[in-house]
Amino acid sequence: MNIKEYIESGIIESYVMGLASEPERAEFERLCAQYPELVAARRKFEEKLEAYASENAVPPPPEVKVKVFKAIINMEHSTTSRSSGPLKFLAAAAIVLLVAMGYLYFQTRQENRDLSSANDRLRDKVTETDSILKQIIGEQKAISDSNTLVVNMVGTKSAPKSSANVYWDSASSKVYLVVRNMPELPSDQQYQLWALIDGKPTDLGVFDGRDQKVILQMKGTKKAQAFAITIEKKGGSPSPTLEKMQSLGKTMVTQ
Amino acid sequence: MLALKERNNQAFGFLYDHYAGALYSIIKQIIIDNNELASDVLQEVFINIWRKIETYDPSKGRLFTWMLNIARNASIDTLRSKSYQNSQKNQELPDNVYKEAANPFTLPNVDNIGLKKVLETLRPEQRVLVEMAYFKGFTHEEIAEIMAIPLGTVKTRIRNALLLLRQFLK
Repeated sequence: MNIKEYIESGIIESYVMGLASEPERAEFERLCAQYPELVAARRKFEEKLEAYASENAVPPPPEVKVKVFKAIINMEHSTTSRSSGPLKFLAAAAIVLLVAMGYLYFQTRQENRDLSSANDRLRDKVTETDSILKQIIGEQKAISDSNTLVVNMVGTKSAPKSSANVYWDSASSKVYLVVRNMPELPSDQQYQLWALIDGKPTDLGVFDGRDQKVILQMKGTKKAQAFAITIEKKGGSPSPTLEKMQSLGKTMVTQ
Repeated sequence: MLALKERNNQAFGFLYDHYAGALYSIIKQIIIDNNELASDVLQEVFINIWRKIETYDPSKGRLFTWMLNIARNASIDTLRSKSYQNSQKNQELPDNVYKEAANPFTLPNVDNIGLKKVLETLRPEQRVLVEMAYFKGFTHEEIAEIMAIPLGTVKTRIRNALLLLRQFLK
């Protein structure tokens, strides 16, 4: 390649003015990387062309500059707003909202669960209280019923302070016990209530000393000449340990 | 240049002030007798320069060269656009490019400005080829076909014309 000849071939002018074909351009650019003198010659022509064009400049209408800058500002706005501005903000906001909603959802779910279990507990409690109340009302009714016999159980010699009331409704055979003052027993022992029917003791159930001032429904009995309370092993005995009889009360009815 | 690539408005303002006249001149040499359209093209050209500034490769030439080619290409595209062709037809201008190009001795007699003034220094057979190639955007192959001369001749004549042009610029 004779670079001098190439420079003088008109290719520089052709290339700079945009008249060279694609293969010519490619070759020219390749040779430019190889020959600094080619670049220098190109540069020289470019400078001449630029100087000439500047000398022969025609001032454009002033509104063109205004329009160009308006368009550019709009472009900047639209690109920034489309690619980053509100969209970015929206995306961030959406994520924050999503996280917040997720958090709220789980928190609400947790709260809901807590509340619902609290509610369940409360309802159980109410049901329980309600049934207790109903029971108490029922018992109160039974006790205050004119058919009900109040048997005052007085302490025996071995337990002079022991006292309790037995309420016996002979019509319905129901027996209630209200502990007034019964000493607490070791955990392996319980008090047992007996009905003495024709001299024979019948088991009416066991109770604890701490069941004070609570109306206890015991087993029912049709007949009873007297009631007795003994100390027995936990769960009660088939027959009373009479030497441990704590109190005794006689029914005033028939005998 | 860095400021331009970073799309600095102030730098772009300087670029506009510095080169708009030179580019408007070349646009007017291609889109003749239609200042309004030429202004529109200039506007489009600067917007394109702004958009494509990061594609400018200094190793391939000066910034002005790059902008000049954008202006020339935009002008030729406009010249060849359907709407422009129609507007020319509506004006019933008889001198379409083919006809005028076919007869080198009846080149349109416009107020020659800029590079076209340089063309006047060329011999007519060179002048018409440069006119067609540079100002009308015909490829060498198209010129060869229209003028019915061999492609090699087209190339040689244009190259020689451009060399003369260079001498004139000096």
